[in-house]
Amino acid sequence: MDRQEILQASEQSLAHLRSIYSDEAETVVADARYGFISGLLKDVLKKPPIERLTLSDKIDKVVVNRWLGLPLFLAMMYGMFQFVFTLSVPFMDWIDAGFGWLSELAAGIGGWPGSLLADGIIGGVGSVLIFIPPIFLLFMAISVLEDCGYMARAAFVMDRLMHKVGLHGRSFIPMILGFGCNIPGIMACRTIENPKDRITTILINPFIPCGARLPIFVLLAGYFFAAHAGLVVFSMYIIGIIVAIIMALVFRKTLFRGVSGHFVMELPPYRLPTIKGVLVHLWERGSLFLRKAGSIIFSVVVLIWLLDYTGVLEPIGRAIAPIFAPCGFGQWQAAVSLFFGFLAKEVVVGTMGTLFAAEEEVLGGAIAAQLGWTPLVAFAFMVFCVLYVPCVAAIATIKGETNSWKWPVFAIFYTTAIAWIAATLIFQIGNLFVG
Amino acid sequence: MAKKIIIALAGNPNSGKTTVFNNLTGARQHVGNWPGVTVEKKEGTCSYKGYNIKVVDLPGVYSLTAYSPDEVVARNFIVEEKPDAVVDIVDAANLERNLYLAVQLLEMGAQLIVALNMMDEANSRNYRINVEGLSRLIGAPVVPMVAKRNQGTMELLERIVEVAENKVRVKELVINYGREAEEEIAKLERLISQDGEFSRKYSSRWLAVKLLEGDEEVIKKFKEVKVG
Repeated sequence: MDRQEILQASEQSLAHLRSIYSDEAETVVADARYGFISGLLKDVLKKPPIERLTLSDKIDKVVVNRWLGLPLFLAMMYGMFQFVFTLSVPFMDWIDAGFGWLSELAAGIGGWPGSLLADGIIGGVGSVLIFIPPIFLLFMAISVLEDCGYMARAAFVMDRLMHKVGLHGRSFIPMILGFGCNIPGIMACRTIENPKDRITTILINPFIPCGARLPIFVLLAGYFFAAHAGLVVFSMYIIGIIVAIIMALVFRKTLFRGVSGHFVMELPPYRLPTIKGVLVHLWERGSLFLRKAGSIIFSVVVLIWLLDYTGVLEPIGRAIAPIFAPCGFGQWQAAVSLFFGFLAKEVVVGTMGTLFAAEEEVLGGAIAAQLGWTPLVAFAFMVFCVLYVPCVAAIATIKGETNSWKWPVFAIFYTTAIAWIAATLIFQIGNLFVG
Repeated sequence: MAKKIIIALAGNPNSGKTTVFNNLTGARQHVGNWPGVTVEKKEGTCSYKGYNIKVVDLPGVYSLTAYSPDEVVARNFIVEEKPDAVVDIVDAANLERNLYLAVQLLEMGAQLIVALNMMDEANSRNYRINVEGLSRLIGAPVVPMVAKRNQGTMELLERIVEVAENKVRVKELVINYGREAEEEIAKLERLISQDGEFSRKYSSRWLAVKLLEGDEEVIKKFKEVKVG
């Protein structure tokens, strides 16, 4: 490797960082070092209270406070989902109207090409694309929280909780990244040195609901829990986090015994996020979603339409469906959606869209009418979707990061088992009360 | 024949570095100049438990960038000469500012011992420092001292011998520079690690971080023609 090339590469890196932080990389590096020191001293230095405080210190007095930190974090998350949900509704209506118009136009063609276009492609891909507004808004909210320095505080607050389960706050950062997509989340586990901590953190990451699962929640919560949709979506994320933490504890007590390493949690000073930085992060995550919609989701949806049109799909669904009967959603359509959701989680909604040949607005109604789902069933189904098998790409990432097939295979089975147990418990116990 | 150990003394100005140097070496001092620059170089020796310890007093600096000859001299000595141990004298009453240098030394992979000087001052201000916790979190020995009353010198010598004899290894500190910066660091690290000579001699991560800091000295190294 030519050293001149390394210098050129570093020039590019500097330009990239300058455009994102609107600050020299040198400042960013120095800030991170002071962030490390400030996190370190929060742990090891007690000063009398008369000292002068910087603005960052003052904010931190509240934000990382022993008692206020966790409730504030939860409130922040709740606020985020309410924001995402409320703001995205009008945009979704517009997109919906657009696809409705397109679908009518396509149906006019008639015959199988009309069905392929209207039911298969527009119904399937359209029912996924309609979720661009909530997904992009969620990614934007996460970017803002990351860039202003709050996510580092969230990790600091969670550090105490994570220590109780034998992990540390550094394991929480991959979990936060997992909200966007589990793949960067799993890759971020590289910063964890201790191999036991690392594999534990990798294995629990799929429980963090990624952006691809948001359409399922928005669709079902929006229809079945209209007034409390934001709260129900929020609860899915909390359930994901809680199960992840419980499983971390289980792993530390069984597969990976031992003490976790000690780490300093960096607390960089708060900074105003730049519009460019937020947009760059938003695009990084958002474009991934769009590319998936154009490639894998499109292909799977066409495949499903073909299988459905030729009458092969229903027998496949009927063969799997009995497994889900105890969970409350033992219909072949649900089974097929979940089965193909293994390829990409957006496909769960896309499949329903193809099967019921409907877009989001009427899709919820179609599910309730044709499958006879109650809010309880919808809730159990959502919880199942939070917890069950990581998508193919995530499995491949786990394989790459652990350098063995053992862990991805393990992840496929244990997550699905837990999802099944959780959904069954919710449905069966819920039935006792709902009657 | 006494075993030889070479150590460097680093620290911010006014951290009591000279006092520690005097405590360690007594009258056996020698003053010269660092080659090529008009920066004073002080050396001294000290005998402890059959070891002959050569103490090199580095210029007092706040940081290890390449902005002043003092900083360059201090850094080059540690990077190029690789002393058996580096003692960073830290003012316990001004921990935040003083630890900046310690953090940089740890990132370079120096075999660091933190001498937590002026503990009396910190105590009189009612600062409570968890010395053991500090040591565990930075991964280096920490010795509380009051150099002006010659307190802590024996423990410091004990730690120096332990580190120099490899009984205690100080690991290179890895700071998380944030997602964006870490991605760039990883990219550069990969490139640097393909350069046999550099990756053998220096930590690739350290060089990568220095490139991002726009460090003139490190950039100069990259511009030099590769020999062999």
